[in-house]
Amino acid sequence: MKKLILLFTMAMFIGFAGNETFAQKKENKVVCFKSNMDCADCEKTVTEYLKFEKGVKDLKIDHVSNTILVEYKDGKNTDDNLAEAIEKKGYKADKITKQEYEKIVAETKENK
Amino acid sequence: MKKYILLLFIMFPFLSKAQSVSGVVFGDDNNGKQPLPGVNVVWEGTSEGTASMPDGSFNIENRSGRNKLVFSFVGYESQTVHVRDNDPLEVVLQPNLELEEVTVIQKDRGTYLSVINPIQTENISGAELHKAACCNLAESFETNPSVDVSYSDAVTGAKQIKLLGLDGTYSQLQVENMPALRGLATTFGLTYIPGPWLESIQVSKGAASVLNGYESIAGQINAELKKPDSQEKLFLNVFANNEGRYEFNGNTNIKVKGDTLTTGVFVHASDLSKENDHNHDGFLDSPLSSTFEVANRWKYNNHKGAMAQAGVTLLWNDRMGGQVGANSDMILSVDNPYGVNIETNRVDAFFKSGIVSKDNHRALAILTNFARHETKSYYGLSRYDADETRFYGNLVYTQDLDIAAIHVLNSGASFIYDDFNEMLYNQDVQRTEKVPGIFTEYTFKPSDKLTLMAGIRADFHNIFGNFVTPRMHFRYQFADHYTIRTSAGKGYRTANVISENTFLLANSRPISWTDDAIQEEAWNFGFAFIQNYKLLDRDLSINAEFFRTEFQQKLVVDRETSSEFIYLLPSTEKAYANSLQFDVRWQPVKRLDMLLAYRVNDIKETIGGELKDAPLTSDYKGLINLNYTTNLKKWMFDYTIQFNGGGRIPRVHEEWMDRANIAGDFFEFSPYTIMNAQVTKYFRYWNIYLGVENLTDFTQNNPIEGTDDPFGENFSATNIWGPTMGRKIYLGLRFNLNYE
Repeated sequence: MKKLILLFTMAMFIGFAGNETFAQKKENKVVCFKSNMDCADCEKTVTEYLKFEKGVKDLKIDHVSNTILVEYKDGKNTDDNLAEAIEKKGYKADKITKQEYEKIVAETKENK
Repeated sequence: MKKYILLLFIMFPFLSKAQSVSGVVFGDDNNGKQPLPGVNVVWEGTSEGTASMPDGSFNIENRSGRNKLVFSFVGYESQTVHVRDNDPLEVVLQPNLELEEVTVIQKDRGTYLSVINPIQTENISGAELHKAACCNLAESFETNPSVDVSYSDAVTGAKQIKLLGLDGTYSQLQVENMPALRGLATTFGLTYIPGPWLESIQVSKGAASVLNGYESIAGQINAELKKPDSQEKLFLNVFANNEGRYEFNGNTNIKVKGDTLTTGVFVHASDLSKENDHNHDGFLDSPLSSTFEVANRWKYNNHKGAMAQAGVTLLWNDRMGGQVGANSDMILSVDNPYGVNIETNRVDAFFKSGIVSKDNHRALAILTNFARHETKSYYGLSRYDADETRFYGNLVYTQDLDIAAIHVLNSGASFIYDDFNEMLYNQDVQRTEKVPGIFTEYTFKPSDKLTLMAGIRADFHNIFGNFVTPRMHFRYQFADHYTIRTSAGKGYRTANVISENTFLLANSRPISWTDDAIQEEAWNFGFAFIQNYKLLDRDLSINAEFFRTEFQQKLVVDRETSSEFIYLLPSTEKAYANSLQFDVRWQPVKRLDMLLAYRVNDIKETIGGELKDAPLTSDYKGLINLNYTTNLKKWMFDYTIQFNGGGRIPRVHEEWMDRANIAGDFFEFSPYTIMNAQVTKYFRYWNIYLGVENLTDFTQNNPIEGTDDPFGENFSATNIWGPTMGRKIYLGLRFNLNYE
C-alpha cells in the first residue's frame, strides 16, 4: 500500500518537473498579431481554439489591446497556419513584430 | 489593484447627448460576459451617481465636468474609467476573487471562500466539479473540507452528508435557492442530481438567511444547475468504472428566440448490473441499481428587468441490494435470500419569476416548486411504502431604502404544503403539514467592508403551532488582510421520523417510534476569521472558524438501550455539536493549488439518560487536496487525501457484557485514511478523465454483522463508519460544443 502511494506521488512530481523543464529547454518561436476581438467572450473563443493548435506552448491574448501572442514549438506549426486559425474563428490576424506588440500592450495599459 | 482590472473600450462612436455619458456594464463570470444591473456608477470624488439598469445600461449626466467614472459592484473589482469624449462606454467588471493578470490565461479557482457574503460560504465551481468527476451531487464533496460524505448502511447505497459533523438532515438542501429534496427524498436525494447538471454548489455554514425558510440548522447547501441560456450547446458524457457502473449524460441548450427565450434538455441514465462481493460475506458491496432522469427547463429574459424560469424533472430509480441472488420479484420469506429493494418514481417542477423596477431599487420575485414522490420498498421481511406531495411558494419583495442601497429591506411570505402517506409494519401513517409564514430581513451595508444582516420570520404551523425564527449575520473586513464573520440564529425542522431512518430497517431489531413527525429546534452560533495575503506573489488564504449548534429539541436515534427495538424518540435533553475548522489555500508552485484543512468535531447527545458522543461520527477530519494544471490547462492532475478520526460504535448494553472480552473495535473504530486521484486531458472539443477512488483499497471490516443468518437476531447492516467499497477505477469522456 505504502509503495503505491510513494509511486503515485513520485509519478506526479516527475510529471510536474518534466513539464516545466521541457517548456524552458526547447527553443520556441513567438509570433504576434493585431486582431479585432473587441470582447471578453471573443478573447475566450480565440484562446480556447488556439491553445489546441499544434505545438502551441503559451498564449497571451487580450481583447483590450486586441493583441495575440503565440509561443509555439518550432517546426510543429507556422505563423501562417496560426493566422489562418484565428481568421477561421472570424477575427483578423495581422502579423506584427514583437516590438510593435509590446508597444501596443504598454500603450493600452497606460490609457487605462 | 489596477493592474488586475480589465479595461474599457469604445465601440461604434456616435454622437450622444451633450454632457452625459452612457454605456453598458458587464460582469465577466464563468459563463462569459453578462449585463450587470445595479452597478454603482459615480463621478470620482463626488457623490453624483447612478446605478446600471437591469440590462446593464446606464446614463449619467456630467454637471461638474469631471472625467473619471468609478464603477463598483459587490463581488467585482471596482474600476475607474477615464472618459475622454461622450462616446458610449462598454465596461467589463471582473469578479474580484479571481485576481489574475489580464493577459495570462487564468486557472479557474475550484473552491474559494467568499469574503463578501456575510454568511460563511464556500463556493464549489464547475472547475472544482471536474476534479472528482464521479457522478452526482452526493459525490461532489470529496475534495471539500467542510462536508463529509458517508454511507448510512451497507445495503441500500444511500449516501449521507454531514456538515459541521451533523447529519445532512440538519442542513437545508436547496436547488437554485428553493428548498428541495426534503421529506422522502432525504435518504437518496443527493444522488438524484447528476454531476453534469451542476453548475456550482454553495456550502454555507451556520444560520442561513430567513428568506429561505426556518429549516437550516447546521447550514445550507445550494446546488445551482446549468442554465438554458449558458454557452453550452451540446454536452455528452459517458462514464464507466471497474465495478460495472455505467453512466450516460446528455445536455443540450436551444435558443428558441435569441437570448430571450431559451430551453435546455438534460438526460441522465446510469446502470450497475454487476454483482460485486469483494469481501465474500455473501452480500453485495453496493446495490444493483438503474436510474433514468430527464429534465426540461425554460428561461425567459427580456433583458429589461423581467425574467421567468420553469422546468420539470422526472426520475425513475430502482435499487436491489442485500444477499447475492436476491431479486425484486421474489416472495419475502426467510427461505429466500435477504434482499433490500427500493423503487422510486419522482416528479419535480419549479417556476420562478422576477421583475426589477426601472430605477433598479425595487424587485419582486416569486419562487415555487412542486414534488411528487412515490416509493415502494422492502428490507428483508419489512415493507415500507410511502408517497409525498409537496408544494413550496415564496414571494420576496426587495426595497432599497436609499439611493446608494446602504439600507435594504427584504420582506415576503411563504407557504409550505407537505402531504405524507407512509406504511410500515402494516401501520398507516398519514400527515399533512401546512405552514404559511412571513419574514423580513434588513441589510445594512455602508461600504464594501461591512455588512450587517438581521432577519426574523414567523411561521404558523398547523401541527406544531406558531414559532419565531430570528437570525443575525455580521461581516467586517477591518483591515486589508482580515475579515471576520459572526452569525447567530435559530432553526426548526420537521423530522419525518420514519422516512429519514428507513435505512435502520436493515437490522434485526424493529424500529419503534412515538410520533411520526417531531419538530426539532436548535440555536446555531458561529465565528470565522479569514486572512488573505500574498505569499510569493500568490494568494494565500487562511481561515479559522468555530460553530456551535445547541439543540432544544432533537430526534434521538437510540440503538443502545434495548436489544428489542431501535427507539426513535424526541428529546429535550442536552445535545450539541461543536466544530472547529482551519483551512489554508495557497499555490506553492505556479498552477498548483493546495488546500490543507483540519476539523475537530465534538458532537454529543443524550442517549438513554447519558451524554455520549454521537455514534458513527469521526472526531476529526483532515484533508489535503492538490490540483495541478499544465500551462494552458491541457492536463489536470488531482490528488486528495482524507484523514478521518475514530469514533464510537453504538452497542446495546447486554452486548457489551457478553462480548466485553472481544476485540476493541467492537465499541470503537480507529482512524482511517482515504485517497482519491484523477488525471484529466483536455482536447479542443472533448476531454477524457481517468481516476481512482479509495486508492489504498481501505474498507470497513465486517460492514454487515450476522451475515450467516440475515433473518436472525444478530443481523445488522447499519453500524457503518467507513467505506464499504474498495478501490474503484473509473474512466470518463466528455464532449463539449459551445455557442460562440
